[in-house]
Amino acid sequence: MNRKTILNRRTFLSTSAAASLTLATPGLLRANTFPERNIDVYVPTAEGGGADRNFRAFTSIWKTKLGVDFEPGYYPGASGRVGYEIYMGKAEPDCYSLIFGNMGPEVLNWAMQEPTFDVDDYFYFGQVDVDPSVVFVGAESPFQTIDDIVAEGQKRTLTVGTSRMAHPASIGILALGDQTGAKFNLIPLAGGKNTVAGAVTGEVDFSVLTSGSVIAAGDAVRTLLVFGENRVGERLNNAKNINEVYGMDLPEMLSARAFGIHRAAAEAYPDRFARLQETFAETFEDPALLEAYVASGGAPEYLRMGGVEECAKFKAAMLELGAKYKPLLTGA
Amino acid sequence: MGDTAALLFSVLMDTLGYWWVMIPTIFLGLIVGGIPGFSAANTIIILMPLTLAMDLQMGLVFMVTLYCAARMGAGIPAILVNIPGTAGAAATPLDGYPMTKQGRGQQALSISFVSSAIGGLLTTIIALAAMPLLARVGFYMHAVEMIVVMLFGISLIASIAAQDMIKGLIAGFLGLMIGSIGTDVVYATPRGTMGFLELYDGVPLIPALVGLFAVSEAFIIIEKKVILSKKGQEAMENPSWAATFEGVREALVRWKHIVWTSIIGLVIGVIPGAGASIASFVAYQQSRTFSKTPEKYGTGHIEGLIAPESANNGVTSGTLVPLLVLGIPGGATAAIMLVVMQYHGVSFGPSLFQRQPEVGYGMFMAMAVSYLLMMLTIIPLSRYMSRVTTVPTIYLAPMIISFTLVGAFVPREYMFDMYLALAFGVLGYIARRTGYHVAAILIGVILGPLLETYFLRALKKSEGDITVLFSSTIGNILWVALVVSLILPAVFDRRRKRKELVTP
Repeated sequence: MNRKTILNRRTFLSTSAAASLTLATPGLLRANTFPERNIDVYVPTAEGGGADRNFRAFTSIWKTKLGVDFEPGYYPGASGRVGYEIYMGKAEPDCYSLIFGNMGPEVLNWAMQEPTFDVDDYFYFGQVDVDPSVVFVGAESPFQTIDDIVAEGQKRTLTVGTSRMAHPASIGILALGDQTGAKFNLIPLAGGKNTVAGAVTGEVDFSVLTSGSVIAAGDAVRTLLVFGENRVGERLNNAKNINEVYGMDLPEMLSARAFGIHRAAAEAYPDRFARLQETFAETFEDPALLEAYVASGGAPEYLRMGGVEECAKFKAAMLELGAKYKPLLTGA
Repeated sequence: MGDTAALLFSVLMDTLGYWWVMIPTIFLGLIVGGIPGFSAANTIIILMPLTLAMDLQMGLVFMVTLYCAARMGAGIPAILVNIPGTAGAAATPLDGYPMTKQGRGQQALSISFVSSAIGGLLTTIIALAAMPLLARVGFYMHAVEMIVVMLFGISLIASIAAQDMIKGLIAGFLGLMIGSIGTDVVYATPRGTMGFLELYDGVPLIPALVGLFAVSEAFIIIEKKVILSKKGQEAMENPSWAATFEGVREALVRWKHIVWTSIIGLVIGVIPGAGASIASFVAYQQSRTFSKTPEKYGTGHIEGLIAPESANNGVTSGTLVPLLVLGIPGGATAAIMLVVMQYHGVSFGPSLFQRQPEVGYGMFMAMAVSYLLMMLTIIPLSRYMSRVTTVPTIYLAPMIISFTLVGAFVPREYMFDMYLALAFGVLGYIARRTGYHVAAILIGVILGPLLETYFLRALKKSEGDITVLFSSTIGNILWVALVVSLILPAVFDRRRKRKELVTP
């Protein structure tokens, strides 16, 4: 039997569509079922710190939207550099690995010392919170006001505990020194807990840090100045904005914790990335998030969702700020 | 006063009511403490969903018990097979393992358990009674003072070097050099990392510990049939309860030693950032300095086992003091506890004892009760645990190597850390075969980075003025004490020799 097959345009198009669908089916199915396993999250700071608290609070709700859990791995060291280097160097770019970092100090770090990877090879897509840096003293400190500190700093060099040299809070206090003529010597104390301990025990004259960690320290400390707006009032001892007190025009010295991802992963698996973004946004709509965040010691006023664009803007601003203050923060 | 006593009694009764949580947790703690790479901190993290689901007091009892039991558990493999599970147990095998090789593993375990439990219990009571006072220690022990404390531990290298000065010092310097690998603490500049990302945060302690001690030992014991000496084999053929009680008795008659060294642990533990590794080496060094028989240290000397075990359990109660009184966690496990307690709405800090005194007292009470329960439940196990030493080395050595490699992998989950443990194993093997002391290398690896941190901090504070090292009164007192403790052994030795000459 002779059967003549005529390949007309309609047959060609329908055959092509069917073939494409057949070939794409496994991919589509995979996309629909993402995620099939837990998400690994690289945290570039130690467990038990502010990032750990925020991470746990946020993912306790996010996991209910995504349907799988988040497994943190802590990679502290070298001002957060270790965690990022490990994430970029070791983690598979498949949307199953994220990084939960602080867009303030950790991006500033890149301005001080370039990492081994291109800083554009990862990007942040989900900002969880934003909080300003503050100046604070231990409960027993002789300094009662920021004016006391400035006055003393004009007489002698004061030691200032900071989580790490490249930190927005460090830039804030150096800017205050420039404005008032007070002399400040930054002492990196390796992490928020140690920075609080330094101020409380008198290892340093006072400390500067992200305000969330200072609030979590409770009445062991007193806040004297905010490098930005005081959105929480009494919980930061009603401390005032630096610009208000000293007539300055300093941009807010912010920390912002956010989830980041390999650019290659977002580009290779757009459906997976879209699912992460959707569920991230859904998490913010759930009132349970606020409860979890407050339960973890977070200030609800700091919860602020940011997407890819907001995060990119923040990252760029930090790189610019870092470049400006690089000589002061690197001792160069 | 009466109110506090009533509250303490009530908290004690409540805590005792949780015996059914504490006993299984003790065994869990012993297991995680005994496996290199695991610790109370990472176990609490793994079990956090469970801990958060518990009510406040139960969660607190669970975490505290796990913390204490894991600390005690770390000493078991250190004594029996030369595997210190944590940096806090790094000084334990110095005398614990030689005891095992002599067939006195059962006694060594009993001594370790009794010293740990009494040291932990005693320091818990002291911490409870003198909490406000102890919390002040952190106010006086800053970078300069900590440099001297570190030097107490590092001076152990000199004691070890006394047997063969050149080799001892070379080993110590090698350890310090290895310890300086990683990024610097001020500007985070990588040094000596050879391009390995895995070394940015310094040489990881667990692979170094298990490699130098356990893997190298496995390479050596494979050359023998069993790890025990001939006399040791005879002793282990018929293990008896008598050996367990002998260990208990030997520890109890040295109660003063337990008290003294556990207090060293407590005082170091209350300093935020200091830890069990510093305390155990400092306690060992002090114990040796004031001993009438310093030459016996390192050969299976009971005091050499008591000192680090009492001290590292003293640290356990010490780390709670800054957490409860100042709101500053004294160590990694205390930091995790802080996270869990904050979930339960507990806010630590100076006013904790006004607002929620039952939480503050409850943590110490849980610690005291868990040490009491450990004494009753663990000591009898020493008889059975020590049987591991009779396993032929053709089975034991591969088991040690695989066990330690897994342990090296666990904390960071890098294959690199397994290779590193093997590399340290080879280094340790060469060192042993050529007469270099691995403990001297290890002291440098563990304490070197800590010394550097405090040293750079002090210099940064003084803007590069080296005289800052002699700028504090307490620091200067410690300097004098350090010099005295370095000279004393020589003075004692001279006096002893003179006495021997006089006595016919």
